[in-house]
Amino acid sequence: MHWLRSLVSGIRALFNNHETEREMDEELHTFLDASTASKLLIGATPEEAARAARIEMGSTNAVKHHIRSATWESRFEILWQDFRYSARVLMKSPGFTAIAVLSLALGIGANAAIFSLIHQLLQQNLPVRDPEQLVTFGKSENGGILGGVDLGFFDMFPWSFARQMQMNPGPFQGIASYGSFSEKVTVQPPVSAAAIGPSAPALLMPASLVSGNYFSVLAAQPSMGRAINPADDGAANTGAVVVLSHHFWQQSLSSDPGIVGKTITVNHTPFEVIGVMPESFHGLKLELEPTAMWVPISMQPVILQHGSFITPDGPYFLHLFGRMRAQDAAGKNALANSQGWFDQQLRAAIRAREGASISPARQLEINHATVTLMSAERGVSLMRSQYGDSLKILMGVVALVLLIACANLANFLLARAATRQREIATRLALGSSRARIIRQSLIETLVLSVTGGLLGLGIAFGATRVLIAFVSQGSSYVALSSRPDLTVLLFTLLVSLGTGLLFGLAPAIATARTAPSSTLNAGARTAQSGGGKSSRFWPKALVTAQVMLSLLLLFGSGLFLRTFRNLQNQDYGFERSNLLLAQFNPKLAGYKPSQAPALNQRLIERLSALPGVRSAALSLTPPIGMSNWTATILLSGYTPAPKENMVSVLNRVSGKYFETAGISVIAGRAITTDDSASGLKVAVINQTLAQHFFPKGDAIGRILTIEINSVKGPWQIVGIVRDTKSGNPRDVEPVRMAYISLSQIEPYQPEVGPSSGKSNTQASAVAPMREENEDRFARTILIRTTGDPAKTAASLTTAVAQIDPNLVLNNVITIHDQVSSLMTHDELIATLTSIFSMLALLLAAIGLYGVMSYNVVRRSNEIGIRIALGASSTGVQWMVLRESLILLAAGLILGIPAALSASRLVRAQLFQLSPFDPVLMVSAVLLIAVVTLLSAWLPAVRASRVDPLLALRCE
Amino acid sequence: MTQKQRDVVQGTLEMLILKTLDLEPMHGYGLALRIEQVSQNVFRVNPGSLLPALRRMERAGRVKSEWRATENNRRAKYYMLTTRGRKALETETSAWNRQAAAIARILEA
Repeated sequence: MHWLRSLVSGIRALFNNHETEREMDEELHTFLDASTASKLLIGATPEEAARAARIEMGSTNAVKHHIRSATWESRFEILWQDFRYSARVLMKSPGFTAIAVLSLALGIGANAAIFSLIHQLLQQNLPVRDPEQLVTFGKSENGGILGGVDLGFFDMFPWSFARQMQMNPGPFQGIASYGSFSEKVTVQPPVSAAAIGPSAPALLMPASLVSGNYFSVLAAQPSMGRAINPADDGAANTGAVVVLSHHFWQQSLSSDPGIVGKTITVNHTPFEVIGVMPESFHGLKLELEPTAMWVPISMQPVILQHGSFITPDGPYFLHLFGRMRAQDAAGKNALANSQGWFDQQLRAAIRAREGASISPARQLEINHATVTLMSAERGVSLMRSQYGDSLKILMGVVALVLLIACANLANFLLARAATRQREIATRLALGSSRARIIRQSLIETLVLSVTGGLLGLGIAFGATRVLIAFVSQGSSYVALSSRPDLTVLLFTLLVSLGTGLLFGLAPAIATARTAPSSTLNAGARTAQSGGGKSSRFWPKALVTAQVMLSLLLLFGSGLFLRTFRNLQNQDYGFERSNLLLAQFNPKLAGYKPSQAPALNQRLIERLSALPGVRSAALSLTPPIGMSNWTATILLSGYTPAPKENMVSVLNRVSGKYFETAGISVIAGRAITTDDSASGLKVAVINQTLAQHFFPKGDAIGRILTIEINSVKGPWQIVGIVRDTKSGNPRDVEPVRMAYISLSQIEPYQPEVGPSSGKSNTQASAVAPMREENEDRFARTILIRTTGDPAKTAASLTTAVAQIDPNLVLNNVITIHDQVSSLMTHDELIATLTSIFSMLALLLAAIGLYGVMSYNVVRRSNEIGIRIALGASSTGVQWMVLRESLILLAAGLILGIPAALSASRLVRAQLFQLSPFDPVLMVSAVLLIAVVTLLSAWLPAVRASRVDPLLALRCE
Repeated sequence: MTQKQRDVVQGTLEMLILKTLDLEPMHGYGLALRIEQVSQNVFRVNPGSLLPALRRMERAGRVKSEWRATENNRRAKYYMLTTRGRKALETETSAWNRQAAAIARILEA
């Protein structure tokens, strides 16, 4: 109980500090009085007695100090004192403090910002029960609708197989499926929910199709209402229920608490709202723009506006995932067992589809069909695979920047420790302990680093917002938050403390090593220049390290900048200036395919007549973009080998497409406005396709057929155009492309059975079982302008709205921005690494300047003597410059190999560039050399101006 | 500089305080004076060590303190022994006696 009483009275003393102090004073006072009185008794005069008593007691402050240090709570007081002293010292040199706090804030803020994104994107588990039990079947990253492929060669599955797995999950607790992409749908909120009235424009929102057991297998609970269950997911076009995302409910339905049970209109069809999910839940697959709602797969015809896929031989459009049993999730063998079981199911399903007679060769092929089971505890995220590597590289970069900032501060503090030697020596001589001096010195650095950290949190918040805005590419909402969570706060705190220790420990120890007597005896200048080899070694070592790290960062940022430039400046095959693109969806505006030709005609006429427009055209996809339309093709005069890859990218285009997109015609002619529905059906192919199948150059005049029933052809090839890049700008392999004439597509679907052919796009090509041919619709508007295309955007939107106000243009974008949007992570990493490397270089320059200036001040005595003895001013300048040149050389000798070995790690990120690019290395070295010389030159000049008389007299 | 009076032998101050307080409650200066007198001016206790020792002992619960009026009618902090303090005095005295006897034996050998 003893310690308890001590604790209680200690705490009481801490809070009644004033009271304790007063009692102490009184006690000392009575002591003094009693002592004086007893001396009077033995016959001293009052003056003598008072003097003797005071001598006996000594300094009352010292006595009080001794009394105070007898208790534990005094430590706090000492800490508080040290803290106040540190704050005062720091306030006295506001320039130094500002630079220190600012550079720390930038360094720590950058680290916190990148960490915040890494944490959210790469480390967070799905917000569901036991996420480690979840596995996906294949990577599940790409989405689309495929036809004419075998089971097991892609990570997408048809409805029938998914349903079979759902019914018989084998070793799994459950297997569920969901649409591989979220299609944008029109949504009309219930009239009562929002104050916006019935005439409000429909919202375009992404919707995700899910199987009836999706939520139960994920073990995700709605925050309101109920989730979709297997009873909802029945026959096609039944189960018109919808579960909303928290974000959609909040933004578009004003968090209506009574939304469950109300009806919203999706794609002109009423759906009953049955539940709302919690804020953190975005589904298993996190897309750039998270889905706004979940709908049973049975409603696929409404959501995708397409014929039913819920047939025994429907197309491939679903991803699968499963939940393993608890005991299986722990062991590795179980994953292998589950994999084996799944592959068996897969192969059995393929055999069942192929029917009775399967050739032995085909049997062998089927036996190799497999889809890899992958752990999905963090869900599936496109952003993760897109930005993961970039973020990891950036994390490394910002850590290096922080290290450089630390080196700088350590250097400043070392220099200050040297100038404060007399103060420290005095304190030591007056009886302060070395431990206390180290502690005080560390408290000073921690005050700096924690202040920097706090400021850094603010910077991180802003920086994360900017980064998220960049990553989201204009999407109104992404599932990333700039609000720092507990982990990020903890990370920032740890980084701040670690930083403080890193740059504070060496100076603190150097400070405490001061020998009191010699320092006090010596003159001020000589005292500072003393301190032995080690005190001169550390500043130089730190500057060398800074030069090395700056070289690393500069070279790295050079590599990323060049990569980005190479990507931008490569030949795309089409004109990348004065071209404006826009997406639209006439189907959602209520158009029938039979109305398409008239609409297309009106659009082209109206848009071509706009001022500043040279030509206008329509197509399915833009010249380059995320998605494309692909299919197997056949060519007259070419017999494909068995199993030969006959896939080609397709596009359907109006007249003037090639002129508008700026794709030059190499042979024959382009598709023109004269190619009308009644004329000969024409197609144009690109060079690669022509050369691959007709190397002799006799492609024109051949007949092209496409294995998609709605656009089967036959199409006569009338021209060859240049190769273009149509997808990822990093793909160097040229892609085969065929263009067909939009206006010549058949008005009706052929009556024969299911289609084959495949497509990666949402504007699918799988034959709908309807009469009218939906492939007559265009989805992209292209406009070639005479001036800046961005300026035409407004008049384009108005013109389309004049034709039909329901025809909403989404994503009006210049071709330049469209190309950039395909390499955002390259742009991100190039921009950020250059900013950070410049920051690093600046910090290193400040550091070098500081060390050199300090050296000159320290040695001005010596320099004065040299000048007095006849040293020339150039000689003195050279002396200072030489020192920094040695540091530069040392930094480069260490930095060049380090940079070259580090660049090997990022080889995969580079494009048409060697990781050892000599030009870049030379430029980086030159830049560092120039900056080094500049920052050393000023101190050198100052050294040569030292007045010998002044310098010597100062002593 | 010869020094007639000496500081108390290290580690014995607390014992001396306890012993002195065992007679009657006393204030700080009284304590110092008593130790000086009883030791016939061999030991001198200055406030810089006496008062911190008292504070330590008070924390440890060996003494307690009280503000009282002095003989010349001033307020002073009087210290008195607690039971715990009395026990401590016993153990420390016997330990000291053992040690002193041992030292004496060594010096006389």
